[in-house]
Amino acid sequence: MKTLVTFILALILSFFGSTVQADSSLKANFITGDPGITSINSMTFGPENILFIGDSKSAQIVAIDVSAHPKADNSEVKIDLLDKLIADMLGTKIDQVQITDMVVNPINDNIYLSVHHSSGIPVLLRVENNTLKQVTLDNVSHSKATISDPINKDAKDKWDRELRKWAVADMKYSSGKIMVSGLSNKEFASTFRSIDFPFTKKQDYGSLEIYHAAHGKYETHAPIKTFIPTKIKGNSHILAGYTCTPLVVFPMDKIKPGEHNKGRTVAELGSGNTPIDIVEIENGGKRYLLIANSNRPLMKMEFDDLEAYEGSLTTPVVKKGAAAGVAYVNLPYVNVRQLDKFQGNGFLIIKREANGNLALKKGNSWWLEK
Amino acid sequence: MFSFSEMLAQTSPELIVDRNYLSIKRDFDESANLRVFKGQITETELSSATMLLGKVVKEETSIRFIPLVPFGWNQEYTVVYNNIMDHFVIDLPDSYEHLSIETVYPSGRWVPTNILKWYIKFSSPINETNVYHHIEFIHSLGDTISKVILPLENALISDDGKLLTLWVEPGRQKRDLIPNKQLGPVFEKDKRYGLIIPKDLKDNNGVPMQEDFAHIFQTTPPDRQKPDTNSWKVLPPENDTDDLVILFHESMDYGSTMNGLTVINAEKKVITGDWQLIDNESISLFTPKKPWSKGNYKVLLDVTIEDLAGNNLNRLFDSKVNDTIPSSRYSSSYFALSFSIK
Repeated sequence: MKTLVTFILALILSFFGSTVQADSSLKANFITGDPGITSINSMTFGPENILFIGDSKSAQIVAIDVSAHPKADNSEVKIDLLDKLIADMLGTKIDQVQITDMVVNPINDNIYLSVHHSSGIPVLLRVENNTLKQVTLDNVSHSKATISDPINKDAKDKWDRELRKWAVADMKYSSGKIMVSGLSNKEFASTFRSIDFPFTKKQDYGSLEIYHAAHGKYETHAPIKTFIPTKIKGNSHILAGYTCTPLVVFPMDKIKPGEHNKGRTVAELGSGNTPIDIVEIENGGKRYLLIANSNRPLMKMEFDDLEAYEGSLTTPVVKKGAAAGVAYVNLPYVNVRQLDKFQGNGFLIIKREANGNLALKKGNSWWLEK
Repeated sequence: MFSFSEMLAQTSPELIVDRNYLSIKRDFDESANLRVFKGQITETELSSATMLLGKVVKEETSIRFIPLVPFGWNQEYTVVYNNIMDHFVIDLPDSYEHLSIETVYPSGRWVPTNILKWYIKFSSPINETNVYHHIEFIHSLGDTISKVILPLENALISDDGKLLTLWVEPGRQKRDLIPNKQLGPVFEKDKRYGLIIPKDLKDNNGVPMQEDFAHIFQTTPPDRQKPDTNSWKVLPPENDTDDLVILFHESMDYGSTMNGLTVINAEKKVITGDWQLIDNESISLFTPKKPWSKGNYKVLLDVTIEDLAGNNLNRLFDSKVNDTIPSSRYSSSYFALSFSIK
């Protein structure tokens, strides 16, 4: 009898087990608890309400299931004095908070902001009714992977010296891989890693060496500031923005661990500038790129122009501050600090306005019509 | 760290606050809400004021509010609980040790014009938010030089929050890149400059420095030579507790050199100990944890060790494309210096 009960119990459990797995194979190895997040440098959404958090301090990427968060009505989203609001919520001063990233869940348009406070405590906030609510991170369904240097991780003696730091610059998910760009304080190099997702114990850290040659003469090991995985003429590519401000494409099938990959510079967006965020938006059957910049307005580039451009910029831009390569349009949005895709074919921004107001608001998708 | 008594501030008999919590005598009306606000809020402003994020914990005789981030020094707050409305400030103790700068690397007065990195060592953990906006370079007439530091959103800082790395805009330091062509290198040779950190830079408790910091340096011609390990000299320890000394004959990059040296014995076992760089980072000292044994040793030199201009043991920082050795940067390769103890 006891055997029969055990058997039936096992059957029931295996049935439930397989139901859960069938529900989401991506979240099959998620556990509930505290992932130990100590900083949030960068965020991105994958499928199935999975929010990826790049945590440089703990040298980890954490995938969090946010499906329990109800859809907020963000149809009329607008928050003024965003930095003051965050400082008031933390009982602190504006110069002690920094918004490190803003992402939109593509499934329900929920908006998330990550904030760094001077105390070192990271804060995740969610927009609800044009105000902010805290998302606690100490008991969440998650899975994580380390981003420690795969080469030196066994050299304990060296690690004790604790000088080496790696800061995540950008992070994106595409087809079962989370891709991460960053910069260490040790070597000026284009550190770009691709980590399989779902995360496994035996992780293959593709440390990818990709670079762009400045006019074919001097190689630059510059780190990628922001990037997106995309399709160019139907083939998978990485489109990467660097400081000062070349835009470079790399065919995905040629990027392999341990191989030197030279990209094709398709545009120079002007010196004295750093790209902040790149998003791809499809509207009316046309694909567009929006690029937010530290020292230039929001730029719009059409994919038709990008795909038609087959060359590679090989001669220096002589005219100071001038742009070259694929044409783009400057949109009337300056000082855009954060950018993400919103409501399918629109965009959401955080921008510093002329009167000093830091505003979170929708961009006008009229600019993305033919 | 501060003692409990220093942190404790009592504003009314029922209210106890320190930086990490606020406690008030509990009212057993369960509908009573405990709310905390930044600033001195009046009753009429309450409905539109923003509440502080934090946890409310009910204890036997008191109710406790734990703010998400610690209460700030010298910051006014308002607490509202049942029919109580009170204001409080936690005064900065007189004994507070203000943030200061202990040293910068390179520490010497002379640096090559194509210097690539600076490191700043602080006395206590700093406020990392937008930290690079607080650091300036000035030329001898006192004007700020623009676009010197690589603008990073996330600070490159050590785990203890005290050692900050600054990259001098590499696009300007590398020959032939657009920023280098259009703006020129950041520094010119044979000129004096200052690395300035105004006193408004705060520590991680939100308390600013008390004095501006200035480090004056002078530039020498650009360094376009790889460090020559053949010229480096190892002075083996004479007694079993002596330091091992390595002479580089030039100032080296602090971070990569501190990270890039390892001593192994003939059995290839790593000898543990402490490294330090002295004499403007041109000499390295290694103090072993245990006394030396007789035998043969090697100092392994990671190829990523750099001089002040970012030239490592394998390549120049701005090497030409056809000079580079593919994929070498990610393989663990070392140079070695041998020595023996008799």
